[in-house]
This record gives sequence, structure tokens and C-alpha cells, in this order.
Amino acid sequence: MQVFKAMFKVMRSRLPSALIYIVCFFAISAIIANASTKENKFEASRLGISIFDEDDTPESHALTDFLKKSNDIVEIENDRDIIIDSLYYKRIDYALIINKGYAERIKAGDTSELFGSYHMDDSFSVVYMGQVLDEYVNSVKAYISMGKTFDEAVTSTEEVMSQNAEVNMFRADNGGNSHFSVDFAGYFQYMPYILISIIISVVSLVLVTMNKKDIRYRTSCSCLKESSYTFQLFLGSFLFVFVIWILFMIAGMILNKEVYTGRAWYAVLNSFIFSIVVGTMAVLVASFEPKDNVLNLITQVLGLGMSFFCGIFIPVEVLSDKVLSAARFLPAYWYVRANNMIADITQFDLNEVIQCYLIQLGFAAAMVIITLLVRKVRYSGAAIGTAVKKAAAEH
Amino acid sequence: MENTVIKINNLVKRYGDLIALDHLDLEIKQGEVFGLLGPNGSGKTTTINCLLSLLSFDKGDIEIFGKKMTPVSYDIKKEIGVIMQNVTVFEELTVYENIDYFCGLYIKDKAKRREYVEEAIKFVELGDFRKFYPKKLSGGLLRRLNIACGIAHKPKLIILDEPTVAVDPQSRNRILEGIQELNRNGATVIYTSHYMEEVEQICTRIAIMDKGRKVAEGTKDELKRMIKNTETITIEILDIPDNIAKEIASLPHVYDTDISSGKLTVYCSGGKHNLTRVLEVLQKNELSFGRVYTELPTLNDVFLEITGKALRDKED
Repeated sequence: MQVFKAMFKVMRSRLPSALIYIVCFFAISAIIANASTKENKFEASRLGISIFDEDDTPESHALTDFLKKSNDIVEIENDRDIIIDSLYYKRIDYALIINKGYAERIKAGDTSELFGSYHMDDSFSVVYMGQVLDEYVNSVKAYISMGKTFDEAVTSTEEVMSQNAEVNMFRADNGGNSHFSVDFAGYFQYMPYILISIIISVVSLVLVTMNKKDIRYRTSCSCLKESSYTFQLFLGSFLFVFVIWILFMIAGMILNKEVYTGRAWYAVLNSFIFSIVVGTMAVLVASFEPKDNVLNLITQVLGLGMSFFCGIFIPVEVLSDKVLSAARFLPAYWYVRANNMIADITQFDLNEVIQCYLIQLGFAAAMVIITLLVRKVRYSGAAIGTAVKKAAAEH
Repeated sequence: MENTVIKINNLVKRYGDLIALDHLDLEIKQGEVFGLLGPNGSGKTTTINCLLSLLSFDKGDIEIFGKKMTPVSYDIKKEIGVIMQNVTVFEELTVYENIDYFCGLYIKDKAKRREYVEEAIKFVELGDFRKFYPKKLSGGLLRRLNIACGIAHKPKLIILDEPTVAVDPQSRNRILEGIQELNRNGATVIYTSHYMEEVEQICTRIAIMDKGRKVAEGTKDELKRMIKNTETITIEILDIPDNIAKEIASLPHVYDTDISSGKLTVYCSGGKHNLTRVLEVLQKNELSFGRVYTELPTLNDVFLEITGKALRDKED
């Protein structure tokens, strides 16, 4: 397995740049996952409110104390212009006026004209505060009618209203796919760019090195069978692709703090198939024996090109029909299409997902065939002969 | 008893209209250092490529160690060490790793391979550079590494295709000594070059090639005996009258003279006292002259006389 081992020794030279890609991707994924986790957590909103207590009774103070617990009280002057300015500049969300006679009315079971307010029309704060005040007043009124004193009614109301319901966030999707979260979908969405960048830049470079004309001739002079040489190159390339893919799958679980269940396995399979496609792409690129700087250029063109045209960086919905028609001839399009279905961004259809897998595998097969043709031309006796003839003619 | 290691019979290789090898016959015996000498484009490397089955050929047969050579003759290839014209190593591997890689293509046993690699490193004196990457090595050291990669598996037949191109004299001598040592250790060597001095120095038998043909073959003495010239006398002299030049040209064994750039060159064929006779003529006519030196024929003279052109390109 000399060739196989040599491949990994040659890879050493390319690992630093591959590591940069990996670290950057993981760092960005971690940031996105972290930000996304915060977004998904339910947290009751706190409003900035100003309270003007014109009743100034223990009952009105009880209401003020209750509101302080779940909102931020902003002290401003009780002046209409100042209040309106504060609302306009969003220093406060809501200004509540507890009308004079609040205590008497509520004890009498009269809930009309208890409050006045300043607010921005159609704002969320109006609805929210309206609900809170209604619930508070109705609850106190109900407890008083049940025979409790006002203080007891306020205490019971606060107890009831301070109970928090346990809230779990689920993304509204088309198929109720709770096994494949938004975070996971995003992680798989951006993966093709990194897979292309790493696999092509590393595998192609190694294969170019191993297939340099002189090295190849020298190896052909040895007793190593051609089939064994090719097999070792294939094995080395496949192992690298597999290790990178496994690394991303494990990192996906760690970064998103989730395990693969249910439909997530379709995404895992989709990424594995795409990794194989990229592997064959790397072999094809290597068969043209590009120089190092050209190889970098090819890697970027393929990585960025597919990312922008196939919906990796830009959602498919915003791409024009012409772009999408052209993108159909690129494997990343079918990866993204399958991924979108798995993530319920588009309607999930297992048959269509499998079709996407098969089309990607078709791309892989096509690239293998083209590679074999290129190699046949480049490494045939005719090619060597042409080179020798040229050299001979020069002399 | 000398066994035939390589037998090339009637080998023809064409590239369209260009005939790269024109009915070439060669027989190389065990223990020989066989030189393939010829200018660039004469067919030396094509011969080697055909020999190693890197190139297909149009006609003829090649036998190595008594067996027909084909691209899948792995048992034959196992006994051959190849040192290419270009330095063929991995830039990404260290000196040790490079030798280990190429040795490993032949030797599977790890312990044995380690021993062979160490011996090869010692042989080419790269012990201090085993952890160096090729780009850190000088041209001479690179050539030595190239050789170590080719001989580490201890082949019975070693093919060196112009291994000293662009090498400093010191490294060149070290390489040539190494080749002779390999030969003394039992390896048969094929050495291609267009440096006639190297071929003269190390080869026991030489084939001179031109335009894909073998134009002469034999030991260096045999080759030199094939030509008329046996001695070339050069005398630095400012002016020489025509009658004296004619007198010298008519001396026994002198077959040609040349007067140019303040030098009189006298070409002799046979005879034992040619220099004495030429000097006697000059002294008798009281002509003063500067330095005098004689040269025995070189392989270049052989090539020149056989093909009518110089062996070496001007830029060489």
C-alpha cells in the first residue's frame, strides 16, 4: 500500500488550507446555531411603560406593583407632549393612566373607564397591555364576587397570572417534519461549498502529484501492477472524502446539539451522495493535471459558482428561471432540491428525493467516464509518443 | 560465463514519418556497464522507454533476463532499477520517505525495506539530509536522491538515463564512482549520455547511436580502432610557409593537416614517432613555435568520422 500511504503524506502539505476551510465553516455554523437557538427560545416580552396613577390608592398601587414585575417602568413627566414624544421615539411602548375612582369602581364590579392610555396605533404593545389589564381586572372582579377581599383577590390574580406555560418552538412547515430542525437544514444547506472547496483542493492536488508524468512513468517501471496503483489511488481518495464527510456529520450533531432521527437521515444520505459526486469531480479535475494556482482557481469557480447558481448561498426562490434551468446541469442543484424537500422548504416527496439522489449519482458516473476518457488520451502510448516525437523534432 | 541480460532484436519505432528507432540490435551481457552514446534525439531515451515497455514499438523483440519484455512482465521489472533523466521524486516527501516509497514499490517486507533504504542513503551519502524535503537540496544532492530512489531495491539491472545532466563536476564524479561501485557489486548497468567523457570513463562497452540507428558498437578501444585517426598533434605556431606545411603533410602516417587560429593540427594514422618527425621538420626550417600537445582519438572523433558531425551540441 505504498501509493496509498504516499497519498496521505502528500496530503500533509494541503492540510493547513483544508483546516482553514473546516475551522471557518464550523465557526460560522456554531455562530448560526447559537443565534438560531436563541431565536427559538420563548421569552415573554417586557414593555417599557409609564404609569400615571391618578387614583393613588392601595388598590391602584397593587396594580402598579403587578405591572412592574413583567414590564420596565419608565418615569416621565405627566405631560401630553412629552408622553407623545416618548412614544414616537420609542422611549416607552405604552403610557397607562389609572383613572381617579379606580379602586371604588373595581370594588363595585364596574370595569368601565378604569384606565386611560397613550399608545401608537396598531402596535403590538396596545394589544398586549389591553389583554394584561383585562385579564387582571376581570380576575380581581371575579375573586371579589366569589367573596374574597380586594387584597386576597389581587394576590390570587397575581398567582394565576404569574404562572408560565411551557412553550416549545416548532417551525411551521408543510409536512410536520419535527425531526429536521431549521438549524440542521441550514447546516446541510451550506455544506456543499465547503465539501467542494476541501475535497477538490486536497484530493485533486494529491492525484495531480501522484500522476505527474515522471512519477507515473517511474511507477510504471516498477513491479506494481497498474490495477493496484489505480485501486490505491481510488481507496485513498475515497477514504479522504469519507473522513471529511463523517467529520461534518459528527460536527453537525455537536454544533446543533441534535442527533439524526427520522427524516434527517435523508439529508445525511444526500450529503454522502454529494460527497461522492465531489470526489469524482476532484478526480476529473486532477486528470487535466492543473498547476497549483490553476487548481485553486478551479476550486473557487466550482465552489462559488455552484453555490450561487444552485441555491446554496441564495435561496432557490429568488433565482430566476433561466438560472435554475442552467443549474439543473450541475449536481449541487439536485442536492439543494433534495435538501429543500427534506427540510420542508418545498413539499416533501420521497420519490422525488430519491430521484435527486439518482441524478447526483448519474453526475458521478458521468464524471468517472469522462475521467477515464481523458486518462486514456493523456496516458496512452500515443501521448508519450507525441512528446518524444516533439522532442526528437526539436533536435 | 557471461549471460545475456538484454537482447534487442530488429527494433523499429515510428512516429508517423519519423523513424525514432531504425532496426536496432543490441545485446548486453551480465556485469557490463553498457553505454548508449549519441546526440540529443538520436534515440537513446526511446530505446530505454521501449526496453521498459513504457512505449509500444512497431517491430522487433526485446528480451530481458531471457524472457520477453511486456508491460505486465512484473517479474522482470522487479529486477530493474530505473534512474530517469528528470529528477523523479515527490516534493512533498522527505528524502527518506521518497526512497522508502520507490523501494516499497518492489520490496513489501518493512524490515527489509528499512535496511535497504538505509543502505541506499548511505550509498549516496545523504545521511545528513534524510529529513530534508527535495526543494531544500542542491542539484547534485537531488541527482543523488534520484539515484537512491532507483537503486534502493538492489536491482540486477540498472538503467540510468543521463543521470548527470546539469550536475556540478564534484557531484558528477561521485555519481560516476557510485555507478562503478554498483557494477562491482554485481549489477549490469545501461548508461545513456551525450557526455562522451563519462561514457569513456565508466562504460565497458559502448553503442553509438545516431538518428535511431546504432552506428558503432564495441569497447572504447575497439571503437577508436575503427577510425583512421590514431593521434592528433597540435602545435601553436604564428605562421608557417606553404612548402613546410606540404612537407609535414607528406610525412609518413600523416593523413591530414589543418592550419587555423595560429595552430597547426596534424592528423596521424598509425606510426610511432609522428610527433618527433613533425618537430624535426619545424626545427630544420628554424621555425619557432609555442606549446605542443598530442591527443589520442576520442569518442567524438569516432562519431565525427562515422557520421560526419560532432557528437556534442554546441551548447553542451
